[in-house]
Amino acid sequence: MTGTDFLALSPIIALAVGASVLLLQIAFLRNLKLTTGITVVTFLACLFFLFYITKLNHQTTPLLLVDPLSTFFSIVFVLCACITTFISYEYLKNRPGRNDEFFLLVVLATMGSIVLTYATHLASFILGLELMGIALYGLIAYPHQDDMSLEAAIKYLVLSGASSAALLFGFALLYAITGSLFFPDLLSGLASPEVAVGPQSPFWARQLILLGSALILAGISFKLSLAPFHMWTPDVYEGSPAPITGFLATISKGAVFAATLRLYVIGEFHNFPTIVTGLTILSIISILVGNLLALRQENIKRLLAYSSIAHFGYLLIALIAAGTLTPNGISAIEPSAYYLAGYIFTTLIATGLIAAISSSNNEENANLSDIAGLFWKNPLLALCLSVSLLSLAGIPLTAGFIGKLYIFQMGVEAGAWLLLSILIIGSGIGIYYYLRLIFSMTTDPSSSRSTLAPALPVTVSLITLTILVLYLGIYPQPLMEYLLWNT
Amino acid sequence: MENLAAEQSILPVFVFFGAILLLVATMLGIASVLGERKQTKTTDLPYESGIIAVGSSQVRLSVDFFLIAIFFVIFDLETVFIFAWAIAFFELGWHGYLAVVVFILILTIALIYEWKSGALNWGVKSQTARKETS
Amino acid sequence: MELLNLLIILFIGGAAAWVGEHFSKGLSRWISLLFIAVAAVSLLEMLSNIPAPTFLKDPITKDPTTWLIHGRADWIPRFGISFELALDGLSLLLVVLTLFLGAVSVIASWDEIDKHQGFFQANIMWTLTGVIGVFIALDLILFFLFWEVMLVPMYLLIAIWGHEDKAKAAMKFFIFTQVSGLLMLLAMITLAIFVKDANGYWSFSYFDLLDNNLTSSLATFIMLGFFIGFTVKLPGFPFHTWLPDAHTQAPTAGSVILAGILLKTGAYGLIRFTVPLFPEASIAFAPIAILLGASGVVYGAILAFGQTDFKRLVAYSSVSHMGFVLLGVFAWNALAIQGAVMQLVAHGLSTAALFMIAGALQHRLHTRDLQKMGGLWQSMPRMGALAMFFIAASLGLPGMGNFIAEFLVLAGLFQVYPWLAVVSSAGLITGAIYSLKLIQESFQGAPDDTLTPPDFSALAMSAMIAMLIGLIVLGIFPQLVLDISQPVINALTSEITL
Repeated sequence: MTGTDFLALSPIIALAVGASVLLLQIAFLRNLKLTTGITVVTFLACLFFLFYITKLNHQTTPLLLVDPLSTFFSIVFVLCACITTFISYEYLKNRPGRNDEFFLLVVLATMGSIVLTYATHLASFILGLELMGIALYGLIAYPHQDDMSLEAAIKYLVLSGASSAALLFGFALLYAITGSLFFPDLLSGLASPEVAVGPQSPFWARQLILLGSALILAGISFKLSLAPFHMWTPDVYEGSPAPITGFLATISKGAVFAATLRLYVIGEFHNFPTIVTGLTILSIISILVGNLLALRQENIKRLLAYSSIAHFGYLLIALIAAGTLTPNGISAIEPSAYYLAGYIFTTLIATGLIAAISSSNNEENANLSDIAGLFWKNPLLALCLSVSLLSLAGIPLTAGFIGKLYIFQMGVEAGAWLLLSILIIGSGIGIYYYLRLIFSMTTDPSSSRSTLAPALPVTVSLITLTILVLYLGIYPQPLMEYLLWNT
Repeated sequence: MENLAAEQSILPVFVFFGAILLLVATMLGIASVLGERKQTKTTDLPYESGIIAVGSSQVRLSVDFFLIAIFFVIFDLETVFIFAWAIAFFELGWHGYLAVVVFILILTIALIYEWKSGALNWGVKSQTARKETS
Repeated sequence: MELLNLLIILFIGGAAAWVGEHFSKGLSRWISLLFIAVAAVSLLEMLSNIPAPTFLKDPITKDPTTWLIHGRADWIPRFGISFELALDGLSLLLVVLTLFLGAVSVIASWDEIDKHQGFFQANIMWTLTGVIGVFIALDLILFFLFWEVMLVPMYLLIAIWGHEDKAKAAMKFFIFTQVSGLLMLLAMITLAIFVKDANGYWSFSYFDLLDNNLTSSLATFIMLGFFIGFTVKLPGFPFHTWLPDAHTQAPTAGSVILAGILLKTGAYGLIRFTVPLFPEASIAFAPIAILLGASGVVYGAILAFGQTDFKRLVAYSSVSHMGFVLLGVFAWNALAIQGAVMQLVAHGLSTAALFMIAGALQHRLHTRDLQKMGGLWQSMPRMGALAMFFIAASLGLPGMGNFIAEFLVLAGLFQVYPWLAVVSSAGLITGAIYSLKLIQESFQGAPDDTLTPPDFSALAMSAMIAMLIGLIVLGIFPQLVLDISQPVINALTSEITL
């Protein structure tokens, strides 16, 4: 371990120290305000270190590689985690029971997401995934008097455990073929003469790769809730406390995608027709299933769950197209990173607003009727939600449009006409339910019995996110250059 | 040629695996085909020398038992890591020592937390919790 | 980049109108009018800086310096997307029309809108911003941006202040335009990528993309993407189904903007982008497009005749009239395109006026059903006379702009497809039938004493009179408009021959 190693790990260390301090503070003095304060300071410290190491490119032990791209992802995640903290405080402050540990778990889950983002080793991949997962089980079940949230937690626990097992088995098979768990060695292992993936490679190697990639695809698809592995998503999103729905839909999924992206690019998995075909099928089914099932939802959390299924279907197009564009598939990084960042900020606005409504009424308010008349009750926040929904629909001036532009560009250059037509059909269907939400915000406020009285930090957070979404949509050049130069 | 070698090295494993499957299937299959079947009123009862069950089998266990079980797992796993370090003590040197100190420090913090939040108080915790919420 | 001021003024006007509502009820209407006036003045000021002969000189389409106004700034260099605004005679006409009808729509909503007046005016102003952006943006992505952004306030106008079936109509409007817009975006990106592969650098600028050497099969597909995008908006047969719903359910100001300006963006796109970017593919496709145009003319007229709803009838008549635009564009000779441009302006005025009358009737009678009207001339003579005038204009009575437009289109079309010109001229006859039915069932007939609604107010009258004068001027001195668009059309038709 050298100084650079410690510097590279400083964000993770900051979070670990923060978590320990939180443990001690909760042990001796239970005070929700203090806990929130320490959590925010922890995240700010982590952000400070992350900004400090934006240019660092350093392999710290075989487990973690700190590079500008993953640092960018981490910044996004920690920023969102910080905003989740503000939202959670409002959500928890009037609820009975011991609420302090909530923040501890948020810090741990965020730490897991950063480990995942930095992972260059299958072991750290699993480590980050499980650290995040275990904290999330607790978070989902946090309002443990609530049947819905218990059901959601158990569902997530069982299914997530099963998918982790599939993932582990897949990794084990990969190890059996290549003899390594380190991402770069996977590539050379697969390309070695005795494996030499291709039609003339030995029968057993081809079978093991087929089985292994199927298991890994299934495991990762579950975590990203790609159809047909999406069944858990709407139930878990609906049952979770609103701030955690946001965490699940943004940071948790984003971190898994970031890690998958790295595995895909470094391992050059786009050279495997099996995997690319699998991804294509997953993408098509996800776009169609996600959009079609979202049409009739009355619960906004469920709606966002289905919409997130569709969005990760769109994102896969970048991965699929990357292989045909450049020999090493590196072109997948810029579009998907941009899309992901835009998606995360956008979705956090929507879930944050639901959390704000739920906190104002001290119950779970996520029905269409709960946002009725928002335009007249609270125009500013209604505008934020509208921007978020329009961004999800891919209307210009928002981050969502630039993301779509990237996906279109990738698809056209790779000649993926089938996927593009599915994308257009999916977006067309998508507009319907996003507009439905906007429409219900414009209806008569008297039909809604829920109030909305957000505290200042929540309002400021939501507005900040909205400005970010608009900034990414109006002036995308700086981030584009950052991503382009660092890949 | 190397491929062949690799294939051969893994072949015995498959043979072994297949043999196990075959053996188990044979044992179960023969028993079910040749075995004697008798349906009397004692068929579903435990074996003669066992004790006949009383009451419902679905009793509620005190949640404290699970807590103890979980603690056992946690503290047991911790020793696994420390053992692994102890065996390679001299090879790891000061780096390893520092790592284990940090590890134990975090464990201690967790222990303090558990202690303070009443997880170690046998049978009392549920009452204090009830008092707090009411 | 002075053209940017136009957009900024209108956008800020919208925000100001929204805020203005909090100070005094009704203030936002005045703010809207004020900002439209400021925008008009700033446009005039821009034009006064251009030496007069430039207006009459034929520009070179590929050379932006020969246009009236041109400005360009980098926006997203990563993809060669720039903030490129330019103005020529064609866009100038449409920008002026937009500002004028914008003011009319503000007046049309003067008494009609009670709740959330400020936000209503804001949405009108933002729609105008988007539409003007469409007319002056010459970077394809920037164009697409305005194309989509104008939908959102329009959607809100219909969805919040619309009539009984507003949610469905607004949704239909948005989804039709958005999906066809995505096809267009796909076509734009495909085009830009092929030009990038040829030139070695990214660009979405109109002037760079004009020089594309696409293979004919690919060009056909890309052209179709653009064609569908614009034809849905126009709307051309068979993509017109969103229009009657949207027009009928929208509040009066919304209908005025929709029919008067929004439809024109589709026609503008066809003239500006579809044909010049893909001349060969357009030649091959022209017969089909013209067939669609002719079907639209006849089919729209037949459907209009079957309507009993005042607004729906006018909406279907728009389908019929916009069919002429499709005919004019794809006949592609100077005469026919002039007719199409003239039709844009004249139809904008006449339909806007008719929708305003329809809105006034609905506001007074709470119905749009023609069967419940009749004999209204008695109580509202001024409105009746105006309705008579605009209906006559709309059916193409000589002496008014619409006649000139349709005559030019048919004369131009006759040179290319004589038989289709004959078929389309049937649209003029059917037009007369449904138009006369409209006036007969609403204003003429036995007076009903139970219906004594008040007549037009002075403010509304002034707007109506302005449109009336406009139509007469277009009919008697069409050269005023023709002169402005002539150089552009000369340039286009001389560079591209179908």
